Amino acid sequence: MSNKIETIDAHLYYGDFHALKGITLGIKENAVTALIGPSGCGKTSYLRLFNRMNDLIPYTQISGQVLLDGQNIYQIKPAEIDSLRRNVGMVFQNPNPFPKSIFENVAYGLRVNGIKDKSLIEAQVEKTLQQAALWDEVKDKLNQSAFELSGGQQQRLCIARALAIEPTILLMDEPASALDPISTGKIEDLIFELKNQFTIVIVTHNMQQAGRVSDYTGFFYLGQLIEYGKTRKIFTNPTKQETENYITGRFG
Amino acid sequence: MTHLDTELKILKADLIEMWQLVVNQLEKGMKALTNFDRDLAEEVMENEKRVNSFELKVDKDCENIFALFQPVASDLRLVLVALKIGNNLERIGDIAASVADFVLEADTDFNKAILEHTKILEMYAVANEMIADALEAFDQEDTRLARTIFKRDKILDDIDNKALDRVLECIQNYPDQARNSLLVMSMMRKLERVGDQSKNLAEEIIFYFEAKVLKHKKKKKKEGDE
Repeated sequence: MSNKIETIDAHLYYGDFHALKGITLGIKENAVTALIGPSGCGKTSYLRLFNRMNDLIPYTQISGQVLLDGQNIYQIKPAEIDSLRRNVGMVFQNPNPFPKSIFENVAYGLRVNGIKDKSLIEAQVEKTLQQAALWDEVKDKLNQSAFELSGGQQQRLCIARALAIEPTILLMDEPASALDPISTGKIEDLIFELKNQFTIVIVTHNMQQAGRVSDYTGFFYLGQLIEYGKTRKIFTNPTKQETENYITGRFG
Repeated sequence: MTHLDTELKILKADLIEMWQLVVNQLEKGMKALTNFDRDLAEEVMENEKRVNSFELKVDKDCENIFALFQPVASDLRLVLVALKIGNNLERIGDIAASVADFVLEADTDFNKAILEHTKILEMYAVANEMIADALEAFDQEDTRLARTIFKRDKILDDIDNKALDRVLECIQNYPDQARNSLLVMSMMRKLERVGDQSKNLAEEIIFYFEAKVLKHKKKKKKEGDE
């Protein structure tokens, strides 16, 4: 399995704070990689390198290489950043649908990208809602406000919205931490389904969730990548004592 | 199907495949004894490695499921039961290999009269049937069939209790088969253990499907507990 994303000695500073201390890691294509670690360990900062979200934070400095399909995304032209973000979808902790109808939430990205063909948009909305395992629940109320959906449905809608513009990578930052166990289960099953088509990177505080959904796991601590490997190995016999202590709940 | 369902399905499939292999091992061992087929006996010895690797695979599957999915209720029972069944099957596999080894130790064909008089073939057939029925009970979720296994263990015990006397009679009647008679005695001791292992399998099957613990319960309670 080849690497979709690769970072080589990636450092990130917020002002004087050294948030990522030389991370070298390959993210496998069409697999789920979970990033775990205690709060402030750098896992979300690392995730946000991949779509240059950290650029939006003032006084941020980045060094090292972040390669996406072999191209350093920190050396692309400013005009190409939009296309990078089209290719790298993102889902956040709290469902954040737009104050629009269910249909329009998913169609939004397509319209912004200049697609006007109504039947094409309709087809894409249906396909994406199906991919996000939401179609059956919303097909009869596509014109209702997205806010009428439950939290779990809203989050799947946000996933559909991210998938509509056909990214190849999906970044998920704590996608189920605001949801009840049933909705969480649905999101996890969805992640398991989607990995055949997308490269997924998920940040989670919930170690059991990392175990359930991911193929590979990286454990971050104090801005460093302590251990990375197959999730089965990390959760049954980690190499580093720090990883063992964290996953067994003995610190962090 | 959830991710956990997929993993449990794989675990079940591995267990059933291991079970079929063990049933096959016992059947081949019986044929090797009946036909004094040394090649077949050697095949059984060789296949024992496959049984062992299956046990390791089932152990690893279970370890991963515990670590990654924290199963509960019937999912948890399946994983607990799979660990124990894997272990029992491995022991039955060892017994099949031991019997094959005894066949190889014989220097002449086993006299048919000895096999008949000691009732080893009857014992073998009952043991095979118990393991095969336990497999069917597990596969078909048939706890009624699983309960019939407890009764059949008595047949093995009865034959085994008379084994010593019958073997002695064989030695007196066929002195040239004294060595083979003793080998038959050793095989019967091993086969009696298959009955105990089958009972363990039946207990695990009932625990999995009904969440009832039958271990250390009286025999009547086990057979009739609906």
